Parts: sequence; structure tokens; C-alpha cells
Amino acid sequence: MKEELFVSGRNIPNIDPYLHIWHWQIPIYLFLGGLAAGILFLAAVYTILGKEKEMQATVKWAPFIVPFALIIGLFMLFLDLKHKLYFWQLYTTIRLESPMGWGAWVLMIMTPLSIIWSASYIREVFPNWDWKFKFLYTFEAWVIKNRWYVAWPIAIYAVILGIYTGILLSAFNARPLWNTTILGPLFLVSGMSTGAASIILMSKNHEERRLIGRLDLLFIAVELFFIVHMIMGFLAGSQVQIDAANLFLGGEFTVPFFVFVIILGLLLPAILEILELIGFKVPIVIPAILVLLGGLIFRFIMVEAGQITRYLY
Amino acid sequence: MAKNKRDGTFYINPYLGGVLLGLVLFSTYYITGRGLGASGAVKSSVVSAVHTVAPAHAEENKYYSKFLSDDASPMSNWLVFEVIGVIAGGFLSGTLYGRLKFKVEHSPKITSRTRLIAALAGGILFGIGSQFARGCTSGAALSGMAVHSASGIITMLAIFGSAYLFSWIFKRLWI
Repeated sequence: MKEELFVSGRNIPNIDPYLHIWHWQIPIYLFLGGLAAGILFLAAVYTILGKEKEMQATVKWAPFIVPFALIIGLFMLFLDLKHKLYFWQLYTTIRLESPMGWGAWVLMIMTPLSIIWSASYIREVFPNWDWKFKFLYTFEAWVIKNRWYVAWPIAIYAVILGIYTGILLSAFNARPLWNTTILGPLFLVSGMSTGAASIILMSKNHEERRLIGRLDLLFIAVELFFIVHMIMGFLAGSQVQIDAANLFLGGEFTVPFFVFVIILGLLLPAILEILELIGFKVPIVIPAILVLLGGLIFRFIMVEAGQITRYLY
Repeated sequence: MAKNKRDGTFYINPYLGGVLLGLVLFSTYYITGRGLGASGAVKSSVVSAVHTVAPAHAEENKYYSKFLSDDASPMSNWLVFEVIGVIAGGFLSGTLYGRLKFKVEHSPKITSRTRLIAALAGGILFGIGSQFARGCTSGAALSGMAVHSASGIITMLAIFGSAYLFSWIFKRLWI
């Protein structure tokens, strides 16, 4: 008998050595979550500043996307679950140290808040809208009266939602590419940038587009800074982190990352927005769409690349 | 002067443009180790589109199967990215010189529709021709001549020679 018995604790299909459990649903959800956070944050901030009149698209029209984005995003998360019927256990398992728990609760708060926010503006879009019940009219009047107070929790929770889309990844301590605290702020500014881009697409007011375009430039600059910071952090780290950074610096994700995220998703829209600010005529939809596509591709690349980074044994 | 440049009428001097194009070609050889191209990007797009819609047909077809491999998508080709850069650069140049708008340029004697049909027909013929010639004006003629390849000179003569001949027949589309 020459057989050998090989015993290993490492035979974990789809998890070890490479993670293979997160598919297209996750980056789409991360994109929609960031987009929703960006729009709601800007809407709430301009409401708090009392600029509803000047910033109509920011405060009123763009937030109408948010409930749809969040519901589609949540549906994506649901699709990703292995045991779909147990989704509710996310709400019965309270663990402060669990980012997924935080995310579940933040979405539980943000989705109804965003629906209430849009509902309070719906009669400005559709003047013939009928709420059918008297208590809904009373509630609407209350929200309209207290918008300034409703805006505060929205602004705060929007930041938590935006950061959480990054923290969801960075909590994976076994995946070097994700396990960096910069991912939270990076996904937050990226989400703000995509939110600003969708506001630009919806706004008809030149002044508003100009202002949001300027903000978007700021977000793009900060995002680039964070990306450089992230890669420098990896390169100053241990071998596994250097390997993670090398996926973008000559490895298999180099071309999509630099072409679609850095150049077409950040630098080109930034140049076009600068040109527009100086006074050149730029169809503003082009940079806005580039920013949206760049944000989406960025999340696909981060989710894909993160799953193949690993610790050495 | 600066104001005139932005009203959409300014184009670069063709001779200066030629020199710049040569320098672009030169740096392309220096950076990527190969020449420019345009039809290759279209070919890659067609091959990957066919392969997505009808994978079996693409793999059996003698022509398409040449460009398919298990390791990399046909879109993973430097020409595809070069053409994305050409579009982005053209857009920037159009922005800087105020030329950005939707229009069909044609002779006043014909309609936009005729012009578009003629352009499509010409494009199809040129696409087929470039595959027979193994390259188009950029990939075969320009890049070939830059390395003193006889085929580059022949391609250049064939493209511009036949253009000279056929322009007599189709001049109505332009003047």
C-alpha cells in the first residue's frame, strides 16, 4: 500500500487561497450606495445652508433617484446572499464591531428617510398628486415645516453610508488590498463625486451646475490624493501589501485601472470641468457620464482585485 | 487672434500637422515598440462582438478564430486603448477650439442622408480593404513607411492613388 493520507485544514473552496464569493452584485451595490450617499449629503447640506431656491436639482430633483438606487442596491445585496430567506437575521444580530451590521442598520434608516425626503417634494413635481389620506397630508406638512431638522440626520447618515461602502471591504483582514482604513474615506469621496455628477446631469440651472462642477473637481482631487496615498501605503507595507499594489502597477489590473479609472474616470473629466470653469463650451454630460462610469468600474476593479490578494503562509 | 481660434473655424496647418503626426509615430515606436493603427481597434471590437453574440460561429470561422485565445480578450489590445485615447484627445481639441457640435459636413448639392450613406459605404469598403492589406492608412502605410517597409510605400501609393482616381467619380459628394 503506497497511498498517503493528506490532511489539510486549508481546503476551503471559494475562500482559500482566493476569495471567489463576491460577484457583480456587490460592486453595483457599492456604486449605488455611494451615489445615494453623495446625492443625499449634498441635498441635506444645501438645505441646512438654506439654499433650496438656488440649488433646485441638488435639493429636490436628484434625491428622487436615491430611493430607487437604494432599493435596487439592497436587492443586489439580497441576490448575493446564499441563504436569502435569512436576511432578517442581520437585524436580530446586533454586533457593534460588524460593518455589515452597521450597513444593514444605516440602510434601514436611510431608505425610509430618502423616501420621506422625496415624498415631501413630490407635489412640487406632480402638482396633481393626491395623497388619498388626510394623515399623509398632515405628515407631509410636518416634514415640509421641519425640513431643516430632517436634513441633519440625513447629512450625518449619508456620510456613514458612504464610508460604510468602503469599510465593508476594509473589514476583511485576510485580503491585503481591502484591509486599509483609507478605503472608507476613498469610497466616500468617490460616492460624493458620482452623486455630484448625477446632480450635474439633472440640473438645468447654469449657476448650480457650475457650483456642483467645482465641488466635483474638489472631490476628484481628493479622490486622486487618496488613491496615491493608498498605493504609497501599500508599497510601504509588508510583502503581501506590496503584491496587492503591484496588481495596479504592472499586474493584471494595471490597464483597466489606469485607463478607465484614473485617466477616463478622473483626469479627463477633471480637465473638461476645468475647461468649462475657464469658459470653454463643454457639453457637461460628457464629464458627468465619465465620472459615473469611472466610479462604477473602480468598484468592479476593487472588488475583483481584492478577492485575489492574499496573505502568504 | 486668440478669439478667432475658438470660433470653430481654426484648423492646424496641414504641414505642421504632418510633422506632429510623425513625432507621434516616433514616440509610439519608442514607448510601445510598435506602430500606430486604427482599423485594428475596429477589428478587435468586431471580433469580440461576434464572439459574445455567437461564440460557436466565431470560433469556427477562419478569420475570427485567428484573433481569439483563451488567455486574453481580443479587446486587450494596445490599438483599442490607442483609439480610446484618440477619441478623448479629439474631444479635448474640439473643446479647446470651439468645434464641438453635432453636424454632418457635406457638399451643399447633396443631403446629409446621402453623405452618411456614402460615408458608411466607403467605411465598409475601406474596412474590407484594410483587412486584405493587413492594415489601414495608419497601421500599414504610415507605420510601415516609418520603418522603410516596401509594403508601407505600396499601401500608401495604393490608398492615395486610388483615392485620386475615384475622386473624379465621387467629387459630387464634396463640391
